[in-house]
Formats: sequence, structure tokens, C-alpha cells
Amino acid sequence: MTRAAVLLALLLAASPAAAQVVAIIHAKAYPIAPKGVVDDATLVFADGRIVSLTAHGAPPAGAEIIDAAGRVVTPGLMNGATQLGLGEVSGASDTQDQAVRTGPLGAAFDIHYALNANSVLLPVARADGLTRAMSYPAGAATAPFSGAGALILLSPGPDILERPRAAVFAEVGDNTLAKAGGSRAAQWVLLRNALLEARRYAETPRGQGPRDQLLSRPDAEALGPVVSGATPLAITAERESDIREAIALAQNLHVRVVIVGGSEAWTLAPSLAAAHIPVVLDPEANLPQTFDKLGARLDNAALLAKAGVAIAFSVSGNGIYLSYNAGLALREGAGLAVANGLPYLDALAAITQGPADIWGVGDHYGRLAPGFDADIVIWDGDPLEPASAPVAVFVRGARASLTTRQTRLRDRYAPAHAGDDLPPAYR
Amino acid sequence: MADAFASRARVVGLAALACVSSLAAQKGGAPRLNQPPYLRDAFPSTYRPLPRSDTLIAHATILDGAGHRIDDGDILLSEGKVEAVGRGLAAPAGAVRIDARGRWVTPGLIDIHSHDGTYVEPLTTEDENSSDISELSDPNAAGTWIETAVNPQDPGFTRALAGGVTALQVLPGSSPIFGGRSVVLKPIPAPTVQQMKFPGAPQGLKMACGENPKSEDVEKLRGPTSRQGEIAFIRKAFADAHRYKADWDSYLAGTDDKRPRDDPTLDTLAAVLDGRIAVHMHCYRADEMGIMLDLSHELGFRIAAFHHAVEGYKIAPLLVQEGVCAAVWSDWWGFKLEALDGIRENAAFIDAAGGCVMMHSDSPQLGQFLSIEAGKAAAAGRRAGLTLAPEHVIAWVTSNPAKALGLDRRIGSLEVGKDADLVVWSTDPFSVYTHADLVFIDGAVAFDRSDRSRRPTADFELGREPRASE
Repeated sequence: MTRAAVLLALLLAASPAAAQVVAIIHAKAYPIAPKGVVDDATLVFADGRIVSLTAHGAPPAGAEIIDAAGRVVTPGLMNGATQLGLGEVSGASDTQDQAVRTGPLGAAFDIHYALNANSVLLPVARADGLTRAMSYPAGAATAPFSGAGALILLSPGPDILERPRAAVFAEVGDNTLAKAGGSRAAQWVLLRNALLEARRYAETPRGQGPRDQLLSRPDAEALGPVVSGATPLAITAERESDIREAIALAQNLHVRVVIVGGSEAWTLAPSLAAAHIPVVLDPEANLPQTFDKLGARLDNAALLAKAGVAIAFSVSGNGIYLSYNAGLALREGAGLAVANGLPYLDALAAITQGPADIWGVGDHYGRLAPGFDADIVIWDGDPLEPASAPVAVFVRGARASLTTRQTRLRDRYAPAHAGDDLPPAYR
Repeated sequence: MADAFASRARVVGLAALACVSSLAAQKGGAPRLNQPPYLRDAFPSTYRPLPRSDTLIAHATILDGAGHRIDDGDILLSEGKVEAVGRGLAAPAGAVRIDARGRWVTPGLIDIHSHDGTYVEPLTTEDENSSDISELSDPNAAGTWIETAVNPQDPGFTRALAGGVTALQVLPGSSPIFGGRSVVLKPIPAPTVQQMKFPGAPQGLKMACGENPKSEDVEKLRGPTSRQGEIAFIRKAFADAHRYKADWDSYLAGTDDKRPRDDPTLDTLAAVLDGRIAVHMHCYRADEMGIMLDLSHELGFRIAAFHHAVEGYKIAPLLVQEGVCAAVWSDWWGFKLEALDGIRENAAFIDAAGGCVMMHSDSPQLGQFLSIEAGKAAAAGRRAGLTLAPEHVIAWVTSNPAKALGLDRRIGSLEVGKDADLVVWSTDPFSVYTHADLVFIDGAVAFDRSDRSRRPTADFELGREPRASE
């Protein structure tokens, strides 16, 4: 052993988290970009970053070896829009922080202050392969804004915030008409006005704001990064007319728009592609649940992708899958999209690199590529089959436990315990 | 165990009927009812099967719903019934022949918990305070019949059919304690609900425990506001029903000439006490189910199934001992306090104890993907170390719900003589990639994925087909 190696070994012993090199061998790896699959891949990572991905590669000396034995390996998944970390029990409003109904806040409602790293929903999503998410506000008091969403990292530690105010969300359409006085026309007028006022506010020396401004100072400030183009404006919209308005707004007011929902987005696929407007859609949405969603269909994702629209997924599942099964439902939705015409590799991208690029973290997450964050999942089958599950999940290189409150209940009540003398509470 | 319960109820029911008819004969046609009002079917089925041909489906992987798997299997449908199942069957002259090589065949799926036709697509503000999901004026809505509200033009029906569903039970919602009578339908839209009604299918009574009814009552200031209040309320309602039924029984026996008042609410509860109507009980927590089981014995009603039963896995042996089925989701949990302990192994653990478990939808969204639901639930069980073969798991969406509905002699499995309700799947029905290629109901093609003329659409969707604008 050379002196350097001894030193390295000592260092490793002193701080086990640092510099441990891990090599996953014999993997069927999906790097996402470049598109394709690498059979018998060796994936090396250290210090929370991916070092290399090579076919038949020899693992570095001294690396911890994990034999994937031909299993599928992908980046950790990313949910394009969820409310993870913002609520525990939807039926109990005192456990919910994703929306405000009264008070002065609109665009300035900033959910990152409420993120709860100890939420029991997080380990469930992580054990289903989710390592990233856009956690977004469900609604704010000032129409048509919902507030600022945050990018979260499902790391096992206490800090799950990756980037606050990663996008400002607004919602138009039937779900929130009342807040704008009863018409979507008012929603659009308010939204356009807010952007114009925010721009004027940003360009006006402090203390000299116009007197007739509808926006409060905090809301105008919160929209500053949107009007400067630094932060995307996410518009939840389902109906074709609203999506058309969103495209027009992006072009007239020079803001970066992301459509969320987009049940009828497929009808405008070429326009969306031409305007470079991505869509975060629900691949399971195929029912005319409201008059805004009459055109919902399962090949929405396939049609958008074919036209060149950037897509990512978020699955509502009666509002339950959105956060409670934010990992499992995402995979199931991606699988359904494949069953309805989306190429398999595009579906994998729509739950990794797709949302990463849309929300602005695609430079360091979403691919199995050197230098990228080591968010990695080893699967026991096809990840797009909801019957499959991860056998190992790494978040920025740290191996996460797959134990959840649910697996604890499972173990406590397993059929093998049927004959036990003591009640389950003693297990 | 569920069978044992069902047959006891049938015996009780038949005994009551026999008694009634002999008395009517004694009175020589006197102008009095010869059947208690609680046994009448006010809206009889007028369903007629679609046009059909005898059909041989050949070379399929068959899961028959009765526990068997036949690889490269054939199934012959004749006159709307299963004529033969096996290998190398010959197609009779004139029979349609379908080559199902590489495809799978299962019994038609049965959704034991649907709100199609009342939780309609689309749901609008008109439904916010006056939806047809439940009658909310009284926590005891036992007198309501959900079939009188079902809108046959709800697109939910055609979507369920496209997902392989051939029979579904529409239940009232869980806001009232007594939700009302359920109805079993075939998801083939028709102008009237009677034309969709499964002929001869027993009604059920929806009851609910736990959070939903008590929260609703607090909001509306109209009834019990606690779990204990719900139980006391149920006790009182059944005490009234016992008296009501006794009054009718003495009137029909001729021991009392005064004709009792006809009360639709008590009619339903009397039919439950009579054994003709089984209870479909919405409960989440294990302790609530334990209380309800004792209550059912005390008051004399039969619970066919607990619905949702999110904590069913905690009392699996009790469910087995009581012969009560459990209708569950694969993975819903957490959205309310009583759902916090939902686990994905719920179905598999109940099954492992020998219980009758079923996947249910409760939602038009999920009602399209019941076989995938079963696939997810089975996968969780396998990871927990249980052996769950596909030919066993298919029962969770076919023969088990048939049993809980009291229709297991007619549907739920592909056995000779049963109704020819079945699905030809493009691939493994438990896979997310599967499609129902063909759905047969009573031997007729009710849905064909490749033939527009055999894919029903609801009137609502006519003239609204969106198109690409560019």
C-alpha cells in the first residue's frame, strides 16, 4: 500500500461519508441521455457524484461493489408536480400547508418555509424510487396565483430543500373561477395585469411605485424573477382555450411559461413545441372530469412528445396519488403513457431528465452521466410496471433506507405472526 | 365462509316467501298484499343481451377465475353461456373464431364499489351541494334506491367497459350512515337504467361507519357527530325495523288485520333483516370493523363485505371467521386519519388468511384499471414472501366480488354453464401495458378496441370530440 493510499484509507475511516467509491456492476443501465440502454454497465460514483458509466467496465480498486445482476438501473425519479413535504393528512387541515385561502398573499406565498423533512410521505415516495420533486402550492389567496414552488431532494437527512422559489404558480380554469370573481376572463386579465405591474415595479426606483397598483409589494417582488425570465411561470390550465391564452401570454409578455395539467394540450402540440412551452401532465388523466377536461386522453403524452414538446409527469389519482404515492403513481402513469403510444425511453425521460430540464436542475440531475448527482435506483423489474420496486435507492450518493411506516406495519402484521402470544403492539 | 353466510340468508328468505304464499292461498285472494312491501322490485330489469354469435376463442392464456390457468387454451361461447373450456376445442359450424395467440382471457371484471352514474363525468358546481352520490337530508337514507338516480349516459360506464368491467355495483356514498340500496349494472349504456340492470341481482344496503358520516353530520347539524353516536343510531334504526317487520309479518299471517303503514326507509331495513339484502359496509379501521361485526349479530343483519377496509390486514382471521369479504384498494392511504395505516400488502394478507378479498374502485378513474390494481396488490404480497399465482389473484376482481354480490352461480368464473362475460387482454392483464382488446357480456361483443362500431360512447360525449386544432 502506498503512503497516499494509506492516507486515503485513514481519511475514509475518519469520515465514512467522504470519498467512498461505489461501483454498481452488471447493471442494465438507462443513462437517459444519451438515449438508450447500456447492458452489463458499470456505474461508478463517489462524493455524491457519478464518476463514470461504462459498458463492461472494471470497477476501480477499493470501490464498494454492488452487483446489480442484470437488473435495471436508472436515475432517481423526479415528480414534475407534487405536494410532498407540505401535508400529512389531507382530511386534517391543521396538518396541511400547501394552500392559503385568506390573507394578502398571492405570488408571494412561498411554500418552502413549510417543508417538513419528517413527513412520513417522503420515505414512501423514496422507497418507490423518487429522489426529486417539484413541490408546488395548491392555492393562494390572491387570484390567480398559487404561490412559489420549491424543488426538493428526498435525501434521508433533515434538509430536503434543493431550491426555493423555483417557479411561480398560477391557476386558471374552472377549479378557481370563484376566486377571480367567477370568470376565467378575469383570471387572465388579473394574470396579465400582475405581470405588467411586476415589470413596472421592477423598473421603478424604490419608493416611487404607482398608486393604482393592484399587486401588493410582496407579490410584485415575488414576480420579479418571472418577468426577468429567471424563473418560469407555471400555469395550471386544462382547457384548450386556456392553453392557447397561456401561449399568447408567453409570447406577448416574454415570460417562460410551463403548462401544468394540460388535459387538452395535445390539441395544440405544434404551437406548444414552437413556443418551447413544456407541459407537466397527468398521464393517467383520460376522463372528462370537468368541462375543462373534455378532451383528456391517455395518448396526450405520446402526441405531445411526438410533436417535440418537452414533457414531465405528475399523477393526481383522485388527489391521493399526487403526494401519498408520488413515486409509485409516477411510474404507473409513465407505464400507461407507454401503453398508449409514448416510446419507452421518452417515458423514462419524462420522470427524470424531463422535469429536471423544465424546472432548471437538468445541469446536475436526471442522467447517469459523469459529474451528475448520484441519484440512482436499482430495480427488481421494469420500473414502469407498478408491480416492480427498487432494491436500492441512492440520493446524492447516500444509500437510503427502504423502510417506511408502511413496511413497519407490514412486518408487525405479517401472516407469519398469526400464532404469536403477544398482541401486535409488542412487536 | 362467505358462501355459508349466503346460503343461510337464502334459506331464511325462501322460508319467509313460502309462508307468505301459503297464507295468501288460505285467504282466497282477499284484497290484501300477499308479499310484504319490503320485498318488491320497484324497477325490474329490462336488460337484453346484445346481438351475439357462438364464438370460439383459441390459443389464449386463460385464467378461469376458479383458480386454474390454461396455457394455449380455448373457450367456446354458445347462446351467451360458457359452453366449454379446455384445449383443442373445435369450433361448431357457423361459430366465430378468434385467434388469441399471445393474448390472455379472464372472466369479465366485477367492480363491487362504483359510483358511476351518480359521481358523474363531468362533475360540476351543480353537484357541489346537490349531487346524486348520497341523499344528505337524513343520516338514514335507507329508503333511497341509487338506481333511481343513476344517469346511464355517464361516460364512466363506457370507460369501465373499456377496462374489462362486465358488471358493477353502484353504491350510494358514505355520508349518510344508511346510504340506501345499491344496484348491479352491466356497463352497456342504454336510455333507461332498467335496461342496464343485471337481471335478478340482489340489491345491497350501503352503510358507513367512521369519519365520513359523522363529519357530514357536524356540517349539516343533522345527526350523530361521533363514532359512538353512529352505533347508537344504527341500533335505534334496526329496533324500529324489527317492529316494522313484525307488524307486516303479523298482518300477512292474518293475525292482525290492520295494514301497517308503508315506510320506504324501514322497508329497506326489513329486507335486510329478512336476509334478502346484504349490507355493504364502508369502514376503514380494524376496531370499527370489529364493532360492526358484533353489531350485525346483535341486530340480525348480514355484512357481505367491508368496503375500503384499509386496516383489514390487522383482523384478517376475524374476517375469515365471520365470512365477510373485504373490498380494498391496492395503495390508497393517508388521505384521512382513518386511512393512515393503509399498506400495500392489505389484499395479500387478507388472502393469505383465507379471506375473500376484492379490488374495488370507488372512483371512475380506478374503475378502468382494476386488473392493474390487483397486479400491484399481488406484487406487494409476493415481495412480502407470499405465493400468489396469477390464476389465484384474478379471483380478486372476478369470482370473489361475484361471491360477495350473491352472483357467483352466474358470473365470476369461466366454468361451463356460466354467463359468457369475459375479456380478451392484449397481454398479461396485471401489466400496466395491457389493453382489453375484446369484452364479451352474455356472449356478445360489448367492446372491441379495434372496431369503432363496437365501442359504445355516452350521449354526453357526442358532438364534443375535441380535435387537434393544428
